[in-house]
Amino acid sequence: MIDRGRIAQALAKHPFADWIVFERDQELAVRDGARGRTELRSRFRIVAHVDTPKGRGTARLAVDTVDADADQLADRAVALAIASVGDSWETPPAAAPARVELADPAFDDDLDAIADRVLHAVAARNAVIGVTLLRERVASISRSGFHAEWRATLARASALVIADARSLLIEREARQLDALDISAAIADATSDLHALARAPAATAGPCSAILTADALVPDDLGVWAAFAAQADARLASEGLSRFRENLPIVAGADQMPDPLTITSDGALAFGVRSAPLGDDGDAVRRFAIVDRGLAGTLGLSPREASLRKLDPNGGVRNLVVRPGTWNGQADPSGRLVEIRRLRSLAIDPYSGDASLEIALGIEHGKGPFTGGTLRLDLIEALARARRSSARMRRGAYDGPSSVLIEKAELLV
Amino acid sequence: MSWNRREVLGVLGGASASALAWAFTGCRSSPTVRAPVVPIAEGSDEVRAWLHDAVASLRGAGFARAHALAVRRTRATAAVDVLGSSVARARADGVVLVVETERGVRERASSELTRGGVAAAVRALAPKATAPATIEFGPAPPAIASHGELDSIGDRELIDRVASIEHRELPGRVVYAAGVIDIDDATVWSVEEHRDLVQRRVRVRRAMTRVAWDRERPSAIEVSRAWSGGIDDQTFDDEQIAYARDTALEVMTPTAFSDGIHPIVLAPSVAAAVIDAAVGALLTSRAQMRPEVVARLTADKATASPALTLVDDPAAPGTYGGFDFDDEGAPAQALTLVDRGVTIAALADRAGVAAKRAQIAGRGRRPGHTGPVEPMPSHLRLAPGAGDIALADGFQLDSGRVASVDPASGRAVIEIARARELAAGRPTGRVYSDLELVGDLATLLGNIAEASKQTRTFGIRDERDGLPTWRSIEAPYLRGSGMIRARRGELA
Repeated sequence: MIDRGRIAQALAKHPFADWIVFERDQELAVRDGARGRTELRSRFRIVAHVDTPKGRGTARLAVDTVDADADQLADRAVALAIASVGDSWETPPAAAPARVELADPAFDDDLDAIADRVLHAVAARNAVIGVTLLRERVASISRSGFHAEWRATLARASALVIADARSLLIEREARQLDALDISAAIADATSDLHALARAPAATAGPCSAILTADALVPDDLGVWAAFAAQADARLASEGLSRFRENLPIVAGADQMPDPLTITSDGALAFGVRSAPLGDDGDAVRRFAIVDRGLAGTLGLSPREASLRKLDPNGGVRNLVVRPGTWNGQADPSGRLVEIRRLRSLAIDPYSGDASLEIALGIEHGKGPFTGGTLRLDLIEALARARRSSARMRRGAYDGPSSVLIEKAELLV
Repeated sequence: MSWNRREVLGVLGGASASALAWAFTGCRSSPTVRAPVVPIAEGSDEVRAWLHDAVASLRGAGFARAHALAVRRTRATAAVDVLGSSVARARADGVVLVVETERGVRERASSELTRGGVAAAVRALAPKATAPATIEFGPAPPAIASHGELDSIGDRELIDRVASIEHRELPGRVVYAAGVIDIDDATVWSVEEHRDLVQRRVRVRRAMTRVAWDRERPSAIEVSRAWSGGIDDQTFDDEQIAYARDTALEVMTPTAFSDGIHPIVLAPSVAAAVIDAAVGALLTSRAQMRPEVVARLTADKATASPALTLVDDPAAPGTYGGFDFDDEGAPAQALTLVDRGVTIAALADRAGVAAKRAQIAGRGRRPGHTGPVEPMPSHLRLAPGAGDIALADGFQLDSGRVASVDPASGRAVIEIARARELAAGRPTGRVYSDLELVGDLATLLGNIAEASKQTRTFGIRDERDGLPTWRSIEAPYLRGSGMIRARRGELA
């Protein structure tokens, strides 16, 4: 049987340059239709480095059971680290973990009973709802003797909403039960299904497009994921990122009336990607990916930070996009479409090129339509988009609730 | 099914083969390795005894049905590229106990596959259980083969297997070459009344990548094989190695592709991508919770081409996605989904049958064998035709990548790496890159005129919440017509 203390003792017997052990004790409750599931699991994660004349080798081990031998794990870590020697680098000095609240007190009860309450609180009869609740205790110990410990909660809900012989699948994720707001999401989806029932096929042509909440962030980071990819340090070091630090992300991006600013905030209270420490034990920090139209800081692991002689920041986490001043008004002379729902969103993380397959749009002055594709260079389009002053928070995104892209081409 | 070109290049540089291994295995960073705990075969009877006790206790507590499932999994991935080599290993155990009550199904999962862990799971479901029931479990299963366990194969041996093939025939213009072998070895125990089952599956995927520069863009090709059985049962032959090399070196046509409806031949990889996406979106009992899917399958029941017959066959020998029994304990049985163009069945788990969305269960599969159950395919086989097929004028679509089918609308979008133009039955030499085949799925399948005799098989390993799923697809070439359009502008 293992625990983090035994693993730490075993690692200490070997000549590692550095190491950290994470222990996660997780409890889950799942409701899916008439099926109820509970789960207990222990997960250990070890990151260990060895320095050799050829460079530094790193081993990452994950063990999903307590039924293991700590000495065997340490031996395996040595072997793996030696087999994976790369560049030479030094672990940056330890910094204080981010102070961030991650545990919702509403989870302080029997998880199974809470899941029942969540389901019963949703009055909608036209939805098949699934709920997953996670409560975990995370603890870490490092070679230097540094300890950290925190609690976290996470709720996920999915609903297959059915109306007018049509359906929409919606998913929400939040660290607080109240933030799930699944009833409102079902009501919105129901309204959109009624619109879909009378929607003709899209017609092709140039237009201005408004991306509203569910089209802007249909999952995780939604269209803003294009920026997270550009801030990947490894991508940048291989010359595959479009961003160059302190240069405009696209020509003229810094000259816009309301330049784009995007911050990675891993210390956002109850952010789904928030954490005190990064995956390699580095302290999570807030940093600007895009600062008033200029490329900002990359997400830096300890390795990438050391090679650049900078401080690590825990990598790209929740994205906070500064709202704009757009009040929802658009030029009434041109064609204006409001994109409400997507069938699919495909983003090339390297180029930012994206295909947005439209499930439901509203053409101003005409009404709903379905189908069609918007093909956008998301970096360009969002750098120049007008951002609403109204904001929303969904999953790992916190920012404007809609954007206006003034030059788009609707393909059918 | 293959990587985006930039994704392949993204693993170049300092990341080397270790990153390649994890790009292949779906992880984001450098290797995460699960260390061995105990040999898989060791203690098989002990695990069965724990599960017997659990089922007896749960039945004794009054549950009408009790099912116990346990798994021990190990994994090894070896990667070799032009910059180096790396091996990663993983190990995971788990147990799931399932009971049926008047109010529905309840289950308890745990990552602790020990006597104490199983007993604790029983107590969680039946805190007041006292006397175990007497249960007839049926005949004991045959002993599982214990030879060839992954932990007994050295890292160097795995790397040598990859290097012996993947470094052959590399002309100077090939700027990147890589190979991966990825092996999952899972032993699963399934126990309920009258069923005492155990199966061991060793699933193997091999992939080989070649990248060459084509003007200012990289041109990448991946060829792969997937099977279950012995680690060395299959390898790449000279023809496949040459195909990878020659395809990477092919010069793409720089002019813009003319979007439109064209006569096409779908290579097996494209056909497989279409079928995989279509089955997931439409032909499972879960998909049929959507009213549009039910309506579409009713209206379009017979609109696919008579050239198409689709079977899901978990019992087909040596298949990557196959199994002896599903994760609800149902024995493997082939199921015809589409018979000469007519949709006749859907893949289902027990819940799907109980909800009357399908007639036969047997595809209740759990990610990692212990995750939440859902209906999933095993080994999909699109029936071959009688001979070779030929296209006079049009495009042969090669290297299918991501495919999506919207279950609500039936719209299909399939990314295509290459389209070779054909005229009078011969290649014109024009090869277009980065296209997509789009349109209504029923129309696309209705336009299929014939299938080829020769087929290819593809294995897919997905992860859900960190837990793996395995499936495979065997598909022929298909001739038909469809809307093709460029995904990007002209080559720079």
